[in-house]
Amino acid sequence: MNQIDYSVEPDVVQGSLSQRDINEAISKPLETKPTKLYYLALGISSTLLLIGAISLALTLYYGVGLWGINQPVGWAFDIVNFVFWVGIGHAGTLISAILFLFRQRWRTGIARFAEAMTIFAVMTAGLFPLIHTGRPWLDGYLFPVPNQHHLWINFTSPLIWDVFAVSTYLTVSFVFWYIGLIPDLATLRERTNSKVKKIIYSILSLGWRHSNRHWHHYEMIYLILAGFATPLVLSVHTIVSFDFAVSILPGWHTTIFPPYFVAGAVFSGFAMVQNVLIVIRKIFNLQNIITLDTLEKMNKVMLATGLMVGYAYGMEFFIAWYSGNPLESFVFLNRAFGNYAWAYWIMVSCNVIFTQLFWFKKIRRSIVPMFIIGVLVNIGMWFERFVIVVTTLSRDFLPTSWDYFVPTIYDIGILLGSFGLFFTLVILFIRTLPVVSITEVKSVLKTSQPVHH
Amino acid sequence: MIENTTVLYQKKEIPIRILHLGFVFLAIGVIGSIIGFVVEPARTSFNFVVLIAWCASIGTGSLFFIGIEYLSGAVWSVPFRRVAEVNSAVIFTLPLLIVPVLLNIHSVFHWSHAEEVLKDEILKGKSSYLNPSFFVLRIILIIALWFLFKSLFTKHSRKQDFTFEQSLTKKNTIVSAVFMPVFAVTLTIFAIDWLMSLEPHWYSTIFGVYYFAGTFLAALGLFTFASIKLNESGYLLEGLGQDHYYSMGALLFAFTNFWAYIAFSQFMLIWYANLPEETFWYITRGTGTWMYFSLGIIFVKFVVPYIALLPQPAKMDPKRLKFISLWILFAHYYDLFWIVMPTYSKDYFVFGWIEISSILLGIGLIIVNFYYFANKTNLIPIGDPKLKRAIEFHL
Amino acid sequence: MDDKNLFGVACLFKDPNKLLPLVKKIRELGFKNWDVHSAYPLHGIPKAMRLKWSPLGYIALIFGLSGASFGLFLTWWTMSVDYPLIIGGKPWFSFPAFVPVLFELTVLLASVGTAIVMLFVIFKLPNNRHPLNDTEYMKKVSSEYYGLVVESKDPNFDYDRIVSIFKEYEPSEILDINYQELELKYQPKVFDWKFILFLVIISAATSAFAYFYNNKVLYLPPFDFMLNQFKLKPQESSTLFSDNFGMRIPVAGTVARGEKFYPFKGKPEEAGTKLVNTLEPSEENLKLGQQKYNTFCSPCHGWRGEGDSRLNGQFPNPPSLHTEKLRNWPDGRIYHVIVEGQNIMPSYARLLSEKERWAIVLYIRALQRSLNAKQEDLQ
Repeated sequence: MNQIDYSVEPDVVQGSLSQRDINEAISKPLETKPTKLYYLALGISSTLLLIGAISLALTLYYGVGLWGINQPVGWAFDIVNFVFWVGIGHAGTLISAILFLFRQRWRTGIARFAEAMTIFAVMTAGLFPLIHTGRPWLDGYLFPVPNQHHLWINFTSPLIWDVFAVSTYLTVSFVFWYIGLIPDLATLRERTNSKVKKIIYSILSLGWRHSNRHWHHYEMIYLILAGFATPLVLSVHTIVSFDFAVSILPGWHTTIFPPYFVAGAVFSGFAMVQNVLIVIRKIFNLQNIITLDTLEKMNKVMLATGLMVGYAYGMEFFIAWYSGNPLESFVFLNRAFGNYAWAYWIMVSCNVIFTQLFWFKKIRRSIVPMFIIGVLVNIGMWFERFVIVVTTLSRDFLPTSWDYFVPTIYDIGILLGSFGLFFTLVILFIRTLPVVSITEVKSVLKTSQPVHH
Repeated sequence: MIENTTVLYQKKEIPIRILHLGFVFLAIGVIGSIIGFVVEPARTSFNFVVLIAWCASIGTGSLFFIGIEYLSGAVWSVPFRRVAEVNSAVIFTLPLLIVPVLLNIHSVFHWSHAEEVLKDEILKGKSSYLNPSFFVLRIILIIALWFLFKSLFTKHSRKQDFTFEQSLTKKNTIVSAVFMPVFAVTLTIFAIDWLMSLEPHWYSTIFGVYYFAGTFLAALGLFTFASIKLNESGYLLEGLGQDHYYSMGALLFAFTNFWAYIAFSQFMLIWYANLPEETFWYITRGTGTWMYFSLGIIFVKFVVPYIALLPQPAKMDPKRLKFISLWILFAHYYDLFWIVMPTYSKDYFVFGWIEISSILLGIGLIIVNFYYFANKTNLIPIGDPKLKRAIEFHL
Repeated sequence: MDDKNLFGVACLFKDPNKLLPLVKKIRELGFKNWDVHSAYPLHGIPKAMRLKWSPLGYIALIFGLSGASFGLFLTWWTMSVDYPLIIGGKPWFSFPAFVPVLFELTVLLASVGTAIVMLFVIFKLPNNRHPLNDTEYMKKVSSEYYGLVVESKDPNFDYDRIVSIFKEYEPSEILDINYQELELKYQPKVFDWKFILFLVIISAATSAFAYFYNNKVLYLPPFDFMLNQFKLKPQESSTLFSDNFGMRIPVAGTVARGEKFYPFKGKPEEAGTKLVNTLEPSEENLKLGQQKYNTFCSPCHGWRGEGDSRLNGQFPNPPSLHTEKLRNWPDGRIYHVIVEGQNIMPSYARLLSEKERWAIVLYIRALQRSLNAKQEDLQ
């Protein structure tokens, strides 16, 4: 039927690269002067960041009254962006931890980048809970610090769970990422001729010396960290979904939210990783390491998670009818045919309909269509959160206070700024640290392991 | 492209005493259930609902396992795939179990009483979905779909034993891809129809996922037990051992956690929001003697398997795996019993000879089914192109 | 470099399959201080080196359990002991709602703790001064070779013998690894003046920043939002009302909910004779009286009722409550003053409930008695 041979293990890396080639290919972006294209990209993203910074500064000075929020939509872009960016982060941990536990070797080419993206996305996401309080300089009180007021935080509040979940997630992702980086930094330390770089790499690599007595523990801790990161990544988006689901608002209070949010997070995260990787493998010539097969597998994951999200949409609709609760059925009908129907249909078409194109192998394996679908998925997932938050709130229990939320330029400025922050960090990262794990890619080369006896 | 396998496999018959053992269980179970249907038809029917859900779990969970193997390109599980195929044949017993319940439908499903439904506004709203004729139509369709996919998987897989064609693996991969969405929808409808609609006023959107978590655990439990037992008694191949067992242990561990996560999410959200139209389901299970049974589920289905499988060496210890896989299979029965039986007896926990005979009936069905289907095929998919890699598989 | 500083002798391979037999051989010969280096973990090496099972799993378990118990203690103690609040009708100790925080703390402590123990305790990193670092050997290992080193401090170390063993396995290269002079002699200097100056500058900068932040920045907009709010503070004037008073006076004849009409308006003597204090002089009532007295009365009459507050001298002096006249007043007379005011003292009827007024009377009686105790009080 076709040329796949199941009897041999598929190669992760193409083009019969040697160990030295891997070193060269991966560290090349760090050792050469960047091109004009690089500066152009950096310029665009830092402009966006600047727009965001100005909007944010004005918001902090004048207060959150500058945003479009009011009664009854008291929660809008801030929480939408938060959920969106936390979701983006989930792909990284999924690739680095869950696929590691499932021994999916194709993850090696993309794991490092995905992990870094997790950290940047969570950092971006973390901004929003901090600024949505309106007085971010008092956010220290979100942590249980003994204070002169003898007050404690409310541990039964899902917003406090968020604080714990997001900060734990950021810390553990960082540790996981850094542990993975240490051997690569040691390799770079031995390679570099520049004195300054040598000092920096020496400090960061902690004097790692590739000892097999160390590797022995290192493999163990990688397994342990992956074992912890897996439930952690589920818990983080679960807790984010609890923000909504523990309430009694129809459309928010539904028990499928935890797994549905996790699936959606992985879905959007994979789309983002796929998009950025397509660009990176092109400009840094990493086509042999980040292969088309890898991208195809990512598209398959997107198809699967897209179907899961579609399942959740269907389930919510069905149960809204099945429950016999008029409030539930109203909310869902209102989503599909009410004041924000346009947002709902953007969400459904981007998340469920367009991704069905990935059933076709041709589309899974051609760069331009998959890139476009990836972008659409991210648009769709952003609108999913918008639908959940804004549509539901704008038609609450009290019809007299119904209102139509319109974002102001400050809302949009901060949204653009979040993209600016994320991409600026990504662009700086790809020139400062190896985007692909040298260690892991080497270990899955064809001749790299001794033959088993 | 025919490639000869280098694997030497000698088929061994499963001894007849296994069948005898199965018949003993089956005979007691059948007699007990027949008497049960005569003496206490309602109670026996409720027990049969538990049994149906349990057998459906084992059968469809095994199909899901096969599908996942093809889709993910998993290697370690190839030599054991026939075990999952044999286990999935349990779905053939479902019609036998379903018919007696359908004959007693009025004593099990409150919504099947047309005159009661007319008195109840909410049930009236649902009656276009929850009515006996559509219900029967759905279960026939669902079972037909399961039979279809089961026979497609097995047909291609068995054909490969003789032809060694790689294209059959490809075909089964496509079947798996189509099966997954079908599986999700049918399993959810099955869970809503047979378990959730027992309390027709209650609803929970996560319920399908909850049933899926238990389903896959139960299927993995039987799969792990049967695979290790067969391998130890020499029915499979040389060279299969702890490295392969580790994956089974890890999956059991992972899905134990997944079940706990889903169960906790459902409970927590309903407890926290405290809406009376949802909480009554948990209140029934949290009062009277049912409370102890409900607390027991935390230990039976989560704490015991979690602690038993937590250390890394435990995940590849065949002795412990054999015990804990049977435990998990039992835990799924316990879980289903907890979902179903409080509807029959709201105030107090019931357990007696009717319950025991339906459990024995279930065990008997599984053993007899296993004997027949295991003897019909090779226990190793000798034509599978991944088989050689699977035997060489190391952690 | 001279031979005295020999760290060890190393050999390099390009094929991992050639390395494995040598590893087994070296282990069988009973060497202790030796190691295998490769740019990534090699399968089969831990087994060939007979490395012990890594204890990190247990370390993670210990950290995880301590995270869980700390989380349980924190949520239980804060939410049900130190600061119990009823939220959403849930019990003080509502365990399901604490599970997310417990879980996060478990994961946080377990993963960070294990990573720190591995890096800094087991590996004893950072260790940039290790002789292997920055050598030709390390360069080659980190790019495409696999290396094995036997250290000179091994009790069985014998240079020629080891080199001859190495040669049997046909390595690509055999190298000596030497200490550099600097590595042997280097001592970090804590009392170097530059380092101390660095510390001083850091601490001065931190203090200056803290001072500036706490005393200046927090009083600038928008950080002063707590100080300047859009609301009327007590005694502030307002243009909203024609009389420019910010604090409003109730309409004449207003009786607060739960209060009775006061029939002795303008009749202090009648109040003194007809009103009776119904409150028991219990500890609870006296505590209430003390609290209300300290809040409302002490600003003028002083903490002990001696008229010695800090307002002394600014107004017509507030009278002492210990005069003979006051001691002989009946309870109702004092009560009347609280309700109606006297001279410059305003009415406190709006601010104090009936029970609170009587509690204050009780407390004043106690104060009077404390400064004028009778003989029998001492017994």
